[in-house]
Amino acid sequence: MTPVELALDTQLVLVLAGVVAAIAAPPRLRSLLAGVLSALLGLAGVLTGAWALAGRHGVVELPTALSLGPVTLDPTPLGGFFMVVAGAVGAVAAVFAIGYASGPAASRTSWVALAVFLGAMQLVPAAGDLVSFLLMWELMALASTVLVLTEHAGRAEVRTAALWYAAMTHLSFVLVLLGFTVLAHAGGGIDWASMSRVDPTSRTAAVAFLLLVAGFATKAGVVPVHVWLPRAHPAAPSHVSAVMSAAMVKMGVYGVLLVSIRLMPGGPAWWGAVVVGLGAVSAVYGILQASVASDLKRLLGYSTTENIGLIFLALGTALILRAHQVSAAGDAALLACLLLVASHAAFKATLFLGAGSVLHATGERDLDRMGGLVSRLPVTATAFGIGALGAAALPVTAGFVAEWTLLQAVIHGGRPHDRMVAVTMPIAVSVVALTAGLALVTFVKAYGIAFLARARSDGAAQAHEASPSMRAAMLIAACVVLILGLVPGALAQAAARAVGLPAGSAVTQVGFTHLGARLEPLAVLVLVGVMVTAVALIAKAAARKVPRREVELAWGGGGVRASARMQYTATSYAEPLTRVFDDALRPERDVVVTHAGESRYLVERVQFHQHVVDLVEDRMYRPMLTLVERLGVAGRRLQNGSIHRYLAYSFFALVVVLVVVAL
Amino acid sequence: MSETTYTQLLQLSAGLLLLCAVLIVWRRSLGAHIRLLAVQGWALAGLVAVLGLHEHSAELLWVSVLVATLKGVVLPAVLARATASDRTRAREETPLINTTAALLAVSFLTMLAYLVSRPVLALGSTAAVAAVPVGMAMALFGFLVLSTRRHAVSQLIGFLLLDNGIATVAFLTAGGVPLVVELGVSLDVLLVVLILRVLTSRIRTEYGDADLDDMTELRD
Repeated sequence: MTPVELALDTQLVLVLAGVVAAIAAPPRLRSLLAGVLSALLGLAGVLTGAWALAGRHGVVELPTALSLGPVTLDPTPLGGFFMVVAGAVGAVAAVFAIGYASGPAASRTSWVALAVFLGAMQLVPAAGDLVSFLLMWELMALASTVLVLTEHAGRAEVRTAALWYAAMTHLSFVLVLLGFTVLAHAGGGIDWASMSRVDPTSRTAAVAFLLLVAGFATKAGVVPVHVWLPRAHPAAPSHVSAVMSAAMVKMGVYGVLLVSIRLMPGGPAWWGAVVVGLGAVSAVYGILQASVASDLKRLLGYSTTENIGLIFLALGTALILRAHQVSAAGDAALLACLLLVASHAAFKATLFLGAGSVLHATGERDLDRMGGLVSRLPVTATAFGIGALGAAALPVTAGFVAEWTLLQAVIHGGRPHDRMVAVTMPIAVSVVALTAGLALVTFVKAYGIAFLARARSDGAAQAHEASPSMRAAMLIAACVVLILGLVPGALAQAAARAVGLPAGSAVTQVGFTHLGARLEPLAVLVLVGVMVTAVALIAKAAARKVPRREVELAWGGGGVRASARMQYTATSYAEPLTRVFDDALRPERDVVVTHAGESRYLVERVQFHQHVVDLVEDRMYRPMLTLVERLGVAGRRLQNGSIHRYLAYSFFALVVVLVVVAL
Repeated sequence: MSETTYTQLLQLSAGLLLLCAVLIVWRRSLGAHIRLLAVQGWALAGLVAVLGLHEHSAELLWVSVLVATLKGVVLPAVLARATASDRTRAREETPLINTTAALLAVSFLTMLAYLVSRPVLALGSTAAVAAVPVGMAMALFGFLVLSTRRHAVSQLIGFLLLDNGIATVAFLTAGGVPLVVELGVSLDVLLVVLILRVLTSRIRTEYGDADLDDMTELRD
């Protein structure tokens, strides 16, 4: 038995153990036992992935009751990379859940679903043939739907969110199934080897590619099929949102990589253009919605759409450039895609766990009612801050390394004089630039409004720091963000191995000799440190000559006891953005002025209400839903309870069949 | 019995069956329906008897006696009792399609029956096979009556017409059914009619009418 086989078997055993512990353990010990087992399951996934990445092989076959043969698990290096990501996120989230889960989230159902969810998600990239892949995929979807429904009893919006999620996830499954069916038919078999025999330039391959990309994009939350994402994340418990956002949507990315890199490498350039288009729209739309959102988890959900957009952008760039034989920049873009996957997993897990801790401490998800949490929740604030740095792609974090690599790829990709490349690359650069800027605004808002200034509600004022397991989980996740940012070489090497590229980076740096670009975050850190010290020393020296000034609170009117309501809120901070992007966001504003008595000039009260709707949902899905509903109502007329009508149906059917037979 | 007599008797009974079926669709009075059904039952019994005589089968003759008793006497009597209690409403007042349209439909269905039976007709040129379309047409008429009449008793009549059609086809193609099977089928039909008859009177006491269109609550 090879190490990979042993690790795969361990995962299966741990899933079973987690399920048994969740069902059989007494309620007091349930969270601890099931949580520890789920965390171990995640670690086993990391181990399996790491071995697979190192090039070890191992096949595990599980007999099933299906007529299609056993479930085959046979991880490749590419699958191994995604197993590491999924396992690591799962482990951290499980540790967090030990302290976080309470009420319905600590129920038997919820823990069973979590164990199954984590197990299935880790095994999706390990699947060795189509049936195993689809089985694990559907198991993952099913378990996550149960988890989204956790708090269905108390909150009506959870039920709506779960309905959206279930519908979209089924759409995704159907599209993926159709796509693979086309591919399997053309290739003559349901194992990956037969499917990879399909000629990527054929029309069949194009149909399969479009269906599969649509299906996987739905799972990944790409615009315009992202609608489930900003709903499901606020509805689910935070550790579940963390896993869904940081790891599960990546399975969609894995799917697209599987199709475009492993099964059908060398597809035409327009495949890349499709993926770039989806990615660019998602990135800009996602971050725009995130920047004006004031529900913290909704904000993070939209930010996921943005990051998935960047990942798709990187992948599409790689496909275009490879099709045009610009291999150096193409390889860099592919590497950027995987770096973005890993860095997003790290910082988004941190952020969602941080949001969970804030929710746990204050009972608030609305940024406009938070504030001043930095002193009451120091650990959460630190972890969330590091995560926010990562999400804003600032140096010393993983996000910076990944976006830097992406920019290197798109900037160096525009050299050949091909029309498509010449048009796509500048657009890609501007999308990345706009996204980066808006991401900065978004996360300055998220961190600044939630953690700085004064408390805006009683909940925020009486917040308490999280339990030890939650703190540990958040700090581990935050450390990963920093480590991946400071020593990115190891990750870059792993990513290069996953897609079969030569490892061009040392441990401390990411470098592309063909592009003449090199990034050494530690050196950057030292440089910045030296510069900051120098500036600080100079400032101190200069300050000696100027008399000391007392600075009182601005807007305090000379007094220091300014009301917490005079501070910036998330809505007011984003107001300029709302104005600039008014056409793209179409916010609904409502101002109600109550006058004092008969006076036209004296105002007693002004109420301002702003609501930003999702335009895609409003313009694309609502009409569709209305139409379906109307068809449904019309369909009721077919069944009006009249016996004669039912008899007439069968009579007509009989006559029609007879006529057809007679003719 | 000579071959010519056999053929003529067979065609006579088949013609009588079809004629009764058409008349059932034409007439609206429930009393007329029941009388026609009785005649049709006797015609069916006659058909079976002719077949039995032709094939010298004592069993078929017994079957014909059974058919005559059940379809010619018992079932019409049961139906007559169902309508007897409510003389005023013993008519199909407003069928879903009017008589003209129904007769047109009947001619279309007869044509269809002949068209559909072509593969069966191609099997042989005996008189029995040639009469098969009549059975098919009767079954289709039965279905037509079921789906266009409102009165609960009309439904029963449609059902019996359908059953007569199926029985006709069975006798003509299989050259008769074993006595045990025929006995079973007949008892089934009798039971169904009795149950529906009880149900009809229950409907009438419950709703004061036997119009099935008043009963559209049974859904969702």
